[in-house]
Amino acid sequence: MAALGVGVVIVALLWILVQAEPGDSTSADSPLLGRPAPAVLSTTTDDQPFDLGRRKGSWVLLNFFNSTCVPCVREHPELVEFHARQVGSPDPVELYTVIWDDREASVEAWFEVNGGDWPRVRDPDGAVGVAFGVARVPESWIIDPNGFVRLRILGEVTADFLDERLLGLRTPS
Amino acid sequence: MTAIRRTNQRLKGWSGWMLLVIALVGVVSVSTARDRGPQTQQERIESIAARLACPTCDGESVEVSRAPAAVAIRNEIARQVATGLSSDDQIIASIEQSYGGQVLLVPRADGLDALVWVLPVTAAVLALASLAVAFRRWRRQSDAYPEPTDADRELVAEALVRRRHGEGDGGDGT
Repeated sequence: MAALGVGVVIVALLWILVQAEPGDSTSADSPLLGRPAPAVLSTTTDDQPFDLGRRKGSWVLLNFFNSTCVPCVREHPELVEFHARQVGSPDPVELYTVIWDDREASVEAWFEVNGGDWPRVRDPDGAVGVAFGVARVPESWIIDPNGFVRLRILGEVTADFLDERLLGLRTPS
Repeated sequence: MTAIRRTNQRLKGWSGWMLLVIALVGVVSVSTARDRGPQTQQERIESIAARLACPTCDGESVEVSRAPAAVAIRNEIARQVATGLSSDDQIIASIEQSYGGQVLLVPRADGLDALVWVLPVTAAVLALASLAVAFRRWRRQSDAYPEPTDADRELVAEALVRRRHGEGDGGDGT
């Protein structure tokens, strides 16, 4: 009887281990994927209101950024390149930087030096980050014109990578 | 001799164990009843934060962690508590909706998570069943020996007397 019980427990534990997904820090899984994007209300650093719900009709790329984060700094030229490619595009992607755990003045000074003329969204108490489940930066999210979350990207991105993924998302399967 | 045997039988019986279980359940119930829950908003924030895992640190709750993500989650909890529109479970569910189930320090009781609760209970039931089988076996073994007769007792008394005399004579006592 006892041996049977131990056997059942061991089999159950093995089954859990086999079923468990590997812990990959670059995994872009999220409960938000395929769901309507969280309601985000804030302002940009040039004091314009920002309401993510009103961005419907365009593809939106949200990039969570901190000026002291090395990968964020490293990926910035790629975002500048990606943003430049959107100019003149028939269906340009709206790019927004969300300030994550950083002082607004530091981010503004950093953009002044390193370029990037897309809007920066304030997130003083981290509400936007929590709404998207952001734990580390850089992290990027793509939201489709219907307001649904389509992609979460952990870590650095490149302009080519973003173009490629957006092309895949835009092409009906 | 009979008294010792009776005591052994009582210990091996169910009643002692049942008393132990009842006492344990009583202690747990009293301790649970004495916990009246958080009294202030701050206590409520701390209580909710203690049920959530910091998403970037190992083994730390949102309540104690100083990681930026944990601080942001604490702020969000405080904001939702201040509005007074959501229960503790609803606030936790909203955080889980963004971060996923791994943000829960106390697993849910459904799906695969339920195994966390089911396995220990199953193990406990199996252990109790094993004890019951063992107790029954011991009782059967104990019943196999008949009650000592007067002749048995006289035999033992004579042996003891012989042994005492043997020791007095400087014998080896065998």
